[in-house]
Amino acid sequence: MDISFALTGKGYVLIAADTTAARSIVKMKSDEDKIKVLSPHLLMAFSGEPGDTVQFAEYVERNMRLYHIRHNHELRPPAAASWIRRSLADSIRSRKPYAVNLLLGGYEPRERTPHLYWIDYLGTLATVPFGAHGYGAYFALSLLDRYHDPEATLEEGLATLRRCIDEVSKRLVVSPGKYKVKIVDADGVREVEL
Amino acid sequence: MNTFAERFSVSGSAAEIRRAKEVIGEDDDFTGVMWGSAGGFGNLSKGVPTFSVPSVPDPTDFLRLHTDDHADPSCKIKIKHGTTTLAFRFQGGVIVAVDSRATAGSYVASGTVKKVIEINPYLLGTMAGGAADCQYWETYLGIECRLHELRNRERISVAAASKYLSNLVYSYKGMGLSMGTMICGWDKTGPAIFYVDSDGTRLKGDLFSVGSGSTFAYGVLDQGYRWDLTDEEAQELGRRSIYAAGHRDAFSGNTINLYHVKQDGWKFIGNYDVSEMHYNGPGGTGGYGYGVRVEGRTSANPAS
Amino acid sequence: MPDGSYAHPQQRQFNPYTENGGTILAIAGADFTVIAGDTRQSEGYSIQTRYAPKVFRLTDRAVLAVNGFAADGNMFVKTVKQRLEWYRHAHAKDMPLRAIARLIQTMLYARRFFPYYVYNILGGIEEDGSGAVYSFDPVGSYEREACRAAGAAQSLVQPFLDNQIYFRNQTPAPGTSHPTHLPLPDVLAIVIDSFTSATERHIEVGDGLEMYVVLAKGRSTQELASIRGAQELTPKEGGDRIFVIRRELKKD
Repeated sequence: MDISFALTGKGYVLIAADTTAARSIVKMKSDEDKIKVLSPHLLMAFSGEPGDTVQFAEYVERNMRLYHIRHNHELRPPAAASWIRRSLADSIRSRKPYAVNLLLGGYEPRERTPHLYWIDYLGTLATVPFGAHGYGAYFALSLLDRYHDPEATLEEGLATLRRCIDEVSKRLVVSPGKYKVKIVDADGVREVEL
Repeated sequence: MNTFAERFSVSGSAAEIRRAKEVIGEDDDFTGVMWGSAGGFGNLSKGVPTFSVPSVPDPTDFLRLHTDDHADPSCKIKIKHGTTTLAFRFQGGVIVAVDSRATAGSYVASGTVKKVIEINPYLLGTMAGGAADCQYWETYLGIECRLHELRNRERISVAAASKYLSNLVYSYKGMGLSMGTMICGWDKTGPAIFYVDSDGTRLKGDLFSVGSGSTFAYGVLDQGYRWDLTDEEAQELGRRSIYAAGHRDAFSGNTINLYHVKQDGWKFIGNYDVSEMHYNGPGGTGGYGYGVRVEGRTSANPAS
Repeated sequence: MPDGSYAHPQQRQFNPYTENGGTILAIAGADFTVIAGDTRQSEGYSIQTRYAPKVFRLTDRAVLAVNGFAADGNMFVKTVKQRLEWYRHAHAKDMPLRAIARLIQTMLYARRFFPYYVYNILGGIEEDGSGAVYSFDPVGSYEREACRAAGAAQSLVQPFLDNQIYFRNQTPAPGTSHPTHLPLPDVLAIVIDSFTSATERHIEVGDGLEMYVVLAKGRSTQELASIRGAQELTPKEGGDRIFVIRRELKKD
C-alpha cells in the first residue's frame, strides 16, 4: 500500500511519496516516482490501484498541458483541483472507475499563496493545511495536528516531514524504505533531499 | 505449586475433569464460581471460576453468532468496543493514560468508562476490547495477587502478575475472550509495563498503546518520548497523546484519565475533558487543537 | 428419495434469544434514587402484554430494572433474589448495594460463553446514605453513574437525561451554577417526560409506567405526599423506604 504525505509551509507545499512499486509480495521497483509535475507550479502525488494510478496521472498531465496550449496560461491550483475532482467524480459513476487517491499541491505566484488539496477516488475534495493517504495517515495526522506550523520555514517543514516518515518507519509493519520529496514554491517545482 | 499448574493446564486429567464438570454442571450459576460467600457461608471458591456453556456442537460459533457485531451489525448482544489506551515507562515511573468512551456500533454507549482498573495500590491494568472481560479478569487478578502476598509475605512482581493473567486468558484461547491490556506497576526491579492480550501475547516494554486510536496516540507519543522526561512533561505527553487519538479516532474520546505510578504506588492525576483540552488545555494553559494552536498563522504571502 | 421430501440435508440453528422491547431508566439523587421502566412487552410488531413489569424490588434499599430478552431477564431476577435470600439467612441482614452490584457482575460473567441477553440497571441507597445507580452490559461490565437509560429507546432518552441531569451543553447564567443533585419532584417530572416522549417516538415503548422511589433512612417523605398514588412497599419504619408510583402511557 502506497503512502503519501503533504504539508504547507510559509510560501511552499511539500509533497512526499514512497518509491516502492509492489506486486503481491514482491517489490518490483524501489525508485518509482509517484509525484507528477503537472505544471511549473503544480504537483500531484497519486496512489491506489496499480495501473489506474499512472493512467489517471498522465491523463491529468496531458489535459493540463492541453489547457496551457489552448489558453496560453496555466490552470490555477483551485481550478486544477476542481477539474481533477470532477474527473474522478465522473469516473466513479462510469463503467470502469479509476481507483486513485491524490494530494495536489500548487503555488500561485500572483497571490504568493500555496494551495494543498486532499482528493480521494470517490471525488471527495478537501482543502487542507496538511494531508496524507494510505496507512501513513493513521500515524501522521495526529502527529501533524501536533507539530505542523503554517508559517514553518523550509527547514522546519522538512523536519516535520522527516518526523512523519520516521514514525511510519518505526510503527508500520510493512513500511516502505525510501521516499521522494518534491516542493512547489515561488521558484517553481523541484525535488528536495530529506 | 502442582495445583497451580493443574489449575491452568489445558491438558491432563485435572483439566479433563474440569471440562467435564463444566459440561454437565447442572446449575451453572454457582458451580464454585462465586468469589464471596457461596450459599452465604463464607467459603471461598477453589480454583478458577467455571462457566456455563450452551449445548451445541461448537459453543464458540454460538457465541460469535450472537455477539460479533463486526460480522453482523444486527446481532442482539452488542459487546462494546473502541478505545485508546497507553502506558509508558520513563525516568520518573510509569504514565498510564486512557480515554473514557464506549461505543456500541455508532452509538456512544458511555462517555464515563473507567478504563484503568486499579488492581491494587501498586498495580494498574488498562482496558481495551471486551469491557467485562477486562474488568472481571483484572479484578480476579487482584484477588490472586493478594493471595500471593499472604502466602509469600511479599508483593507480587509485575512480571509474575502479568504472566498469571496471560496464562489465564491463554487457557480460554479460541473461546471468544477479547482483551488488550497493559499491566503497569512498580516492583523490586523498578517501573514495569507488560502488554497482555487474549491471543496469549505477553510483551515487556517501555511504551505501548492499545486500541482503535492507538496509531494516532503513537504518532504524538513516539515523537515526544524520551527516557529523561520530567514528571510534568511525561504527564503532559500522556494527556496530549490520548487527546490526539480522541480527536482523530471516532471511537475514542469524551474524557482522559491520567495515572502516574511511582515507587510508593500509583496516583490518580486527573480527569480531563477532550473538548476542554482542544480549546483551552489543562487548567486553561493553551488548547491542544490544531486550529487553536495555529490561529492567525498563514502560509500565504512570504516576506521575500 | 423418490418423492424428494427429504432430499436435502437440513441445518438448524440454535437461537435462544429474542428482543422484547421496552425501556428502563434510573436516576440517583443526593439521598434517593428513582428506577423506572415501561410495562409493554413486545416481539417484532406484536404486543405480547401491556403489563409485564421490568423493575423489581430486591431489598429495602435496592431495586433492579431488567431489559432485553424477557425470559432471560425474569430468570436472572429470580436467581439474584434467591442469592440475596441466602445472604439474608447467613448474615441476618440485607446485602449492601455495592455488593449486590458485584454479585450481579459475577452472575452475568458466569454466563460469559452463553450470555443472558439482558441489560441491567441497579438503583438504590448505598451504606453511606447516598443515592446510586449501577449499569451493566450483558456480560457483566459495570459502572456507578448518576443516571442511565437502557433498552429500545435508550438513544432517545439518554441524550435528554444528559442534558437535564448532567446539564450537558448548558451554560449556567452568570453568577450561578448547576445543582449537582436535583430534588425528587424534578427528577420524577423528568422521568415521566422521558417515558411519554419515548412512547410518542418509539413503537416498543408505552402502555404503563412504573417508577420505584428509594428513599434513604430518615429522609422526609414530604415531597411524595403530593404525588398522586405513591404506594409504600416497605412495611417497617426506621430504615430505607421504597415507594412505587404507577402511571398510564399511551396504548397505540
